[in-house]
Amino acid sequence: MEQQNDNEEKQEEQEHVQKIWSWGAGTEGQLGTGRLEDEHLPQLLLHHSSLLPWSDPISQLACGGAHVIAMTSGGKVLTWGRGTSGQLGHGDLVNSLCPKVVSSLENNFITHVSAGWSHSGFVSDDGRVFTCGDGSFGQLGHGDYRTHCSPVRVSYFVNKHVEQIACGMRHSLVLLKGCSGDQIYAFGSGKRGQLGISKDKVKSVGLPEVTYGLEDVKIVSIAANGDHSAAVSVDGCLYTWGRGFSGTPDAQFPQGLPSSLRFTVVAVGWNHALALTGEGEVFMLGGNYHGVLGDLEKMGPAKQLPADSREAILQKVPGLNDIKTVQIAAGAEHSAVVTENGEIKAWGWGEHGQLGLGNTCDQTSPQAVSLSHTPNEATAFKVYCGSGFTFVIMTPCDPSQT
Amino acid sequence: MSYDDVEIEDMEWNSELQAYTYPCPCGDLFQITKDELKLGEEIARCPSCSLYITVIYNLDDFLADSKTTNNNNNTPNQPIAVA
Repeated sequence: MEQQNDNEEKQEEQEHVQKIWSWGAGTEGQLGTGRLEDEHLPQLLLHHSSLLPWSDPISQLACGGAHVIAMTSGGKVLTWGRGTSGQLGHGDLVNSLCPKVVSSLENNFITHVSAGWSHSGFVSDDGRVFTCGDGSFGQLGHGDYRTHCSPVRVSYFVNKHVEQIACGMRHSLVLLKGCSGDQIYAFGSGKRGQLGISKDKVKSVGLPEVTYGLEDVKIVSIAANGDHSAAVSVDGCLYTWGRGFSGTPDAQFPQGLPSSLRFTVVAVGWNHALALTGEGEVFMLGGNYHGVLGDLEKMGPAKQLPADSREAILQKVPGLNDIKTVQIAAGAEHSAVVTENGEIKAWGWGEHGQLGLGNTCDQTSPQAVSLSHTPNEATAFKVYCGSGFTFVIMTPCDPSQT
Repeated sequence: MSYDDVEIEDMEWNSELQAYTYPCPCGDLFQITKDELKLGEEIARCPSCSLYITVIYNLDDFLADSKTTNNNNNTPNQPIAVA
């Protein structure tokens, strides 16, 4: 009886600690609502305390094609959504409607996760990297081009300390910790140059190879989605490679963006990239389709861009002028940000309700999402975008005082 | 307007759907069957949304394929890359 009270108390406490909302495409169970339908408005995952059989809150989410990976502050991992390629790491090939622990990782303290179209990556505190899911393009890095339904350690990195992994549609990037020179490795499909490993066209590689062209810079974060790859250096330079933005040619190697702006983080979609500056400004690269999927006819033929003018396609996101942005996220064709005062804003493609505005309209500028919660300074919001869906996590800044 | 142009070699044969597929940004898959390809169809649609892609392929490859009978028996259940 006492224990039951204890549990109840814990659950109540958790309600105060963290809240999670999801919306958008939901037919694979990726929203974690327990239903297989799209949601056009933010859904509070009411029973999320039962999702977590322990008390540590979620510290990071990763949203992929139609699956989600949640990492807790205690280094544990849960996954849900589409699992037909083994991307959930549960040892089977089935979807999961609700979050389930990735039990084979329980002996590791996971510190970084990434979700691709149909594969997943996990990094542990001691620098190991594990992958599972679809391996048919070599995107798992095991050299066998096979599908794995439980996370398998990528043995190539056995003598190296991995810090981050970024999973795209059919490729993966790995960032090593604290090393200059060969810091980024890539594997999987390379057809659009997204691996950055060779000046010749590479169809795919099944084992990690070094990404060239970043020997003299220190990279602090990496991102991958669709056929794009991106990285930000410690001095704020943004590098992209892979599929070209806005009709520009594909880049076989990392290309530094010619800009005086200093970026802190980058997020990539399938046709656009978002970059956040240290001053809290958001810039967008590309976006031919992004946000204008429904408006293409109205817009007429695409504007002819001057050849070799990458700066011309970097534009400041309109409508975020009066407030600083603290976090950015990119889905395949939509975007979401968190502003300094705790507001969530979304824009782009809206056909599945992924903007959370209660309809299926597209938006060309950021629109405020209503979360049935008054933002205040005591809470921190984080937003995450999957291909056609969105998650928000609200965590009190100082849980010990609630 | 077509979301993208995709070469048939970049699509995956899905034996469950009996169709060539390619990821759709909504999370579902663009799909086109061999029969459609034989008829010269070049649009692969997503069953979940309004988007579609243009498939780039050589019609003769599929017309020839129909003459050399069905030797698809070794297709595994897993979607595999059409290399």
